[in-house]
Amino acid sequence: MNPDLDLVIERIIRAPRPAIWKAWTTPELFAKWWIPEPYCCRVEWFAPHAGGGFVTSMSENGSAFTPHMDAAFLVVDEAERLVFTNAIDSTLRPANPLPVAVTGEVTLVDHAEGTLYRIVARHADARARARHDELGLSEGWGSVTGQLARLAEE
Amino acid sequence: MANYSAVLDDVFAALSDPTRRAVLRRLGAGEASVSDLAADTSMALPSFLKHVRTLEDSELVRTSKKGRVRMCSLRRERFVLIEDWLLAQRGIWEGRTDRLEELVVDLGKEHP
Repeated sequence: MNPDLDLVIERIIRAPRPAIWKAWTTPELFAKWWIPEPYCCRVEWFAPHAGGGFVTSMSENGSAFTPHMDAAFLVVDEAERLVFTNAIDSTLRPANPLPVAVTGEVTLVDHAEGTLYRIVARHADARARARHDELGLSEGWGSVTGQLARLAEE
Repeated sequence: MANYSAVLDDVFAALSDPTRRAVLRRLGAGEASVSDLAADTSMALPSFLKHVRTLEDSELVRTSKKGRVRMCSLRRERFVLIEDWLLAQRGIWEGRTDRLEELVVDLGKEHP
């Protein structure tokens, strides 16, 4: 783990591992939670096995869709662990995704109250930093980051 | 946290489009009229106005009328949200986890 580049989210979800696995690996269910309302998610390609593609698009009005995620599964262990990355696309070609390249790792562990759901997202930072510079926003914002952190903790 | 995630989702959705990023870059240099911004693209005005509306809705851009001309300017205070990009990514994943949890708990109630 690199605390400057990686994040971990852990949550006890009151549902058994197979139910969470199903919501992650069934395209119709996945589309319901991957992107927030009012945006609409369409799953273009979803092959949950190692080396399989993972492509989603999104829409504001339900008719015009724009690309959202073009990624590949690296590890798919039934109801236990799933790893994907957009650093290579769904055709296994190296990519430079915006806003940032990420490897997402999902693990499911039995828990007395359901399932311990854990996400680890490991990021490359080059693109995010580059985009920031590109927008000319690098200067003068350091002092407010602390305020933002407090907002997020509320 | 849920509200904060929604705000970040809006901001990142707005930033996900190359036309909108080009508008933000241009506005970084100072305010500009909607028609001047549209002229920078090869897009018809109605299509371009949708992008302006998205930027307005995400509160990255504000518009105001000067006589007959609608001017756009950057709401720099909003960019605070993406200053800490890792925190922003966390917001997106927290939102996803909220929605996944809600879905599987609801499905469990339907098929206990």
